[in-house]
Amino acid sequence: MSQKTAVKKNKMTGKQFVAQYGSLIGLVVLFVIFAILRPRFVSFGNVRNVLRISSIDGLLAIGMTFVVLTGGIDLSVGAVMGCASMYAAYFAQASMGYPTIMAVAVGALVGLGFGVFNGVCVAYFKVPSFVGTLGSMSIAKGLTFLLTDAKPIPNLSDSFKFLGGGYLGPIPIPCVFMILILVICFFLLYKTKYGRYIYAVGGNLNGARVSGINTKQIMCTVYIISGVLSALAGVITSARVTSGVTSTGDGYETDAIAAVVIGGTSLAGGRGRLWGTIVGILIMHILSNGLDMVGVNAYIQLVVKGFVVIGTVMLDGLSAD
Amino acid sequence: MKKKSVAMLLTAAMAVSMFAGCGSKEESASGSTAKSEAAEETKEETAAGEKKGGKTVGATYYTLQTEFCMRMDNAAKKWAEENGVTYTGYDGNNDAAKQLEQVETMIAQGVDAIVLNPQDADACSACVDVAVEAGIPIVGVNTMVNNENLTGYVGSQDVGAGEEIMQYMIDYMGKDEFNIVVLEGPMGQSAQLQRWEGINNVLAEYPKIKILAYNTANWSRSEAQSLMETWLNEHGDEIDAVVAENDEMALGARVAIDELSLDIPCIGIDGITDAVTAVGNGSMIASDFQDAEGQIIGALELALSAADGNDVEKEKWIPFQMITPDNYTEYVDRY
Repeated sequence: MSQKTAVKKNKMTGKQFVAQYGSLIGLVVLFVIFAILRPRFVSFGNVRNVLRISSIDGLLAIGMTFVVLTGGIDLSVGAVMGCASMYAAYFAQASMGYPTIMAVAVGALVGLGFGVFNGVCVAYFKVPSFVGTLGSMSIAKGLTFLLTDAKPIPNLSDSFKFLGGGYLGPIPIPCVFMILILVICFFLLYKTKYGRYIYAVGGNLNGARVSGINTKQIMCTVYIISGVLSALAGVITSARVTSGVTSTGDGYETDAIAAVVIGGTSLAGGRGRLWGTIVGILIMHILSNGLDMVGVNAYIQLVVKGFVVIGTVMLDGLSAD
Repeated sequence: MKKKSVAMLLTAAMAVSMFAGCGSKEESASGSTAKSEAAEETKEETAAGEKKGGKTVGATYYTLQTEFCMRMDNAAKKWAEENGVTYTGYDGNNDAAKQLEQVETMIAQGVDAIVLNPQDADACSACVDVAVEAGIPIVGVNTMVNNENLTGYVGSQDVGAGEEIMQYMIDYMGKDEFNIVVLEGPMGQSAQLQRWEGINNVLAEYPKIKILAYNTANWSRSEAQSLMETWLNEHGDEIDAVVAENDEMALGARVAIDELSLDIPCIGIDGITDAVTAVGNGSMIASDFQDAEGQIIGALELALSAADGNDVEKEKWIPFQMITPDNYTEYVDRY
């Protein structure tokens, strides 16, 4: 990496350099600091833990990136994740005897449903995304509790649990999902017309419309992507904790938004990058894992995390002047 | 600009290392590298006698943002210091997945024993599996974990607490025909389920006591206050007594009652500081004290005993104690 940046540095001003790689540098610095403080931080087991948990939460952040790129926001991701996790778990109970694919499909359908609902509300009925997704957050939460009167769902089938706790060789299954999703999303965003339209819609909605882009359709689809990815995260989570729990995903929307902005995507839309979001989610999890390892008090951790989010975005703002 | 950013990063680095200074004492010397499973690594390094002073134990709490869990954490810190044990407490932030992550972090860190205060009895079952797989004893505290591999469990019987407060309220009222409202914990959490069960066990024998309304206030004082306001609007003075599954909610209900200058007896569970005061000045009739200190210390002792290879008891019950106007002074300044 150092070679590559050294080459590019010559062509860039310092400001541009920080804007481009600030979060990545932050990630590397954090990693090195924790590795020095606690050699066990870089042990195989620990790195794998961090990557696995980042893979699950990362799905929400990737979906959120699509939405934020169009200038919207999706506050329902955490609740949709929780809802999908419960409904998938319901069909994954060993006693029910349904195939695992059925449980996954049910979870994905929940996400698809909320995605379409959000998308239609925002794109076609012009409900501000903040309001529309806030509403569906409440709806999702309610449907989550309704399923079992808020009771957890234990005793899931082994093949379902494999989706969260299993391995493909040394790679945890959630990471396999993440890699697949990442490849698809990178392709969508950077190799297709659809990807360019997303940036166009977020950058200049009217301009995009007059140039013949079906802006409503584009806006609608990003919520569907977000919904389905959130649901997938929910399915994997219930498989990982080996039961469906109603509190799954509570508050995850804020982490997803934080990861997106740390990664340098502008909340105003039209500007940002997917790899930045991955860096963002890794920063959040390395920070939390590293501080845990070092034994930092839980309350101080919250303070540190708050400053890191604000600090990275400040850095971004300064360099964008 | 670049200088500036470097300076900022350095500051961050300094801040982090500062925290590190006040963190745990043990410093891994060699840092064996990334080949084996975390579990094997733990055994190797422990065998190599890397940790010199005492044992290391980690505890994850379902949250560190309620008084009860803070009491456990504080009692654990104090106990660890007195016994030369290195202790770290983690805030699970009401999230079972987060707790699983923390257990995995502890395993990677090479702790000798783990104490688990689960967010949910079923969802945290996976925590037990990973610890057992890594060969590290894991003891549940305060809330049961539905996993037969759990090394041991220390807690208090919530069904009993529900029965005790309901019975106390009936004795206090001195009659067997009146109306109550019940403030419940977060739906589905085992303490809520069991305390509710206890309350209903007693009510089954008193068919003339009517539950006018029940709903969750999520252990929260402010939520209980607004819920109680709603109920008072709806039922007015038909409500004869308030039964709350914890003190915070009983106290919240009391605020709503006081605003209307009414006097409806309230009872709760846990024996938090404010509740002890409230029992003293008569705004609560009693609180069923849950011994946080006794539970966590019991759990730590059990966990470390198991880490030494001893056979430990599977379940250890710490009794509830009813705080009443007669004995409340014993509980003042207990923490």
